[in-house]
Amino acid sequence: MLAAAIATALLAACGSSAGATGTAGASPSASATAASCSSAAIGKDLYQRGVLTVATDKPAYPPWFSGNNPSNGKGYESAVAYAIAGQLGFTRSQVHWAYEPFDASYSPGPKKFDFDINEISYTPQRATAVTFSEGYYNVQQALVALKNTPIVTRHTPAELKSYIFGDQVGTTSLAYINSEIQPTTRPKVFQTLNDVKEALQTHQIAALVTDTPTAQYISSSEIKGSVMVGQFPSTGEHYGLLFSLGNPLVTCVNKAITTLRSNGTLAALQKKYLQIYLSVPVIKP
Amino acid sequence: MDGSQPDPPAEPFTGFPAASPATVGGAWQTPGSFGSAGRGPRLLSGGGRRATAISSASTLVVLGALVALFLVAPGSSQVRHVFFNPTDMWQSFIGNPKKGYYSVGEAIWLNIRMFLAAEVLILGLALLIALIRQSVSPVLFPFRVLSLVYVDFFRGVPLLLVLLAIGFGVPALRLPVVSTQSAAIYGVAALVLSYSAYVSEVYRAGLNSVHRSQTAAARSLGLSQSTTLRYVILPQAVRNIIPPLLNDFISLQKDTALVSTLGAIEANGAAQIYSSTVFNYSSYTVAAILFLILTIPLARLTDRLIDRDRRRRLAGAAT
Repeated sequence: MLAAAIATALLAACGSSAGATGTAGASPSASATAASCSSAAIGKDLYQRGVLTVATDKPAYPPWFSGNNPSNGKGYESAVAYAIAGQLGFTRSQVHWAYEPFDASYSPGPKKFDFDINEISYTPQRATAVTFSEGYYNVQQALVALKNTPIVTRHTPAELKSYIFGDQVGTTSLAYINSEIQPTTRPKVFQTLNDVKEALQTHQIAALVTDTPTAQYISSSEIKGSVMVGQFPSTGEHYGLLFSLGNPLVTCVNKAITTLRSNGTLAALQKKYLQIYLSVPVIKP
Repeated sequence: MDGSQPDPPAEPFTGFPAASPATVGGAWQTPGSFGSAGRGPRLLSGGGRRATAISSASTLVVLGALVALFLVAPGSSQVRHVFFNPTDMWQSFIGNPKKGYYSVGEAIWLNIRMFLAAEVLILGLALLIALIRQSVSPVLFPFRVLSLVYVDFFRGVPLLLVLLAIGFGVPALRLPVVSTQSAAIYGVAALVLSYSAYVSEVYRAGLNSVHRSQTAAARSLGLSQSTTLRYVILPQAVRNIIPPLLNDFISLQKDTALVSTLGAIEANGAAQIYSSTVFNYSSYTVAAILFLILTIPLARLTDRLIDRDRRRRLAGAAT
């Protein structure tokens, strides 16, 4: 019951921030009619005719994907991609997955995919280089540390500044550490999230910051003896699908996301894969 | 062309008058000279005004064609915005941690420090390895085998893998002191291990280039083995290998960028953070320019040393 209430609240938040994206994201014509969004009608805008090409990075991390295999439909982002494909009239076999490293996803010029789904947060500055869809998940940052280390019990805003943090390069989590926590020692920056986890296990960093679902997954299943200390208050951040700048396809995908949100599919998938528990304590940066 | 040849009959090869060295300029060298002062082929070959004009025109045409190609390409404006945007270049140069990215200009200082520390250590360790490999004493046999294995191993394993093994492996050992160093220290350690293998081979080539008679002569004068090495062999060997050594160090300067994989924020790492934070690659351009500023002086110094050495040898041969 409570979980459902949270999901609704999440949805409401999603709706408001996504509206903001629509205006700020400099999307092309917002006047697509319902009829123009069939898989046949959008065929000319597709990277490859007749199929929806969806990209993500490797490794594809749980709980966003499952078993490093985007095409199994398991994991939140994989499921959302197939749900969007379904809304656009593609069958499961008409969805192709492409590998796109995060660093390459925002390069200029034509892309090798229709959209990239890779836990990419919308920011106004990023939206000048690529086009974002409406948000499909509202992000809060969370703190993961090893059990029995000082940060688990001592994390007042003032105390938080004294620890050494670590994070993946270029993530909004890293930006969050620098802008909100403002530690006195510079955080360590790693190429992949796996490197960050390794650094946590080997005590090179006191804690890592990542989105709550990932934090939950790391602490519950990946790193033995680690614990999710808590999550930070929302900053209105959300994940969006990444399109090449000005790709007209975004109009129809946005419609699909809106439908999936209003018919409860997104909430159901979040409940199924992301398991946002109520017991997550909120800590202040 | 005609006025410069007042005395045609004096030319020994009268078959085709246009082929005289003075008129064709840079294409022919005066017989008996190696360019100017025996320096070998040079970037700007000496020659008349006409040669200079031709080479400038040719340079302009080639450069102009390249720039034009870049400007008329369909995606030119986007590429210029993403790679060469002055605002982004400046922002990434000065950095803004509150927005999640660091100054590339400040981060290059870490590259310089890592490079300098690694260079000193490499010079020492590589020399030691080279001397062990060149030694003949039976007592040192196990060390000779070890140094051979060392060189084979670290020349064969990619530097990036050495970096990852040290940067993530050593902290995992949880030893006191050794396991609690910063990423930059592990980076320098990996650079030293990898580059010492290369540089020891350079040293060995230098040692081999000194003729055996030098050792024989020094020993016959009553110098001990170590004194011979120190005062006779090494000075000659090192002089021979300065250019290849500097060449390796130019390479080392750039490879400090790999240490960013361990979480040290050096210039390349800072550029990557900026790039993925705001989705613009101009920060990499800034890092590239900074690396050029670092490496070009060393490259010119190498050229100069090679030239000087050449001249000395030629002078030595003449007298």
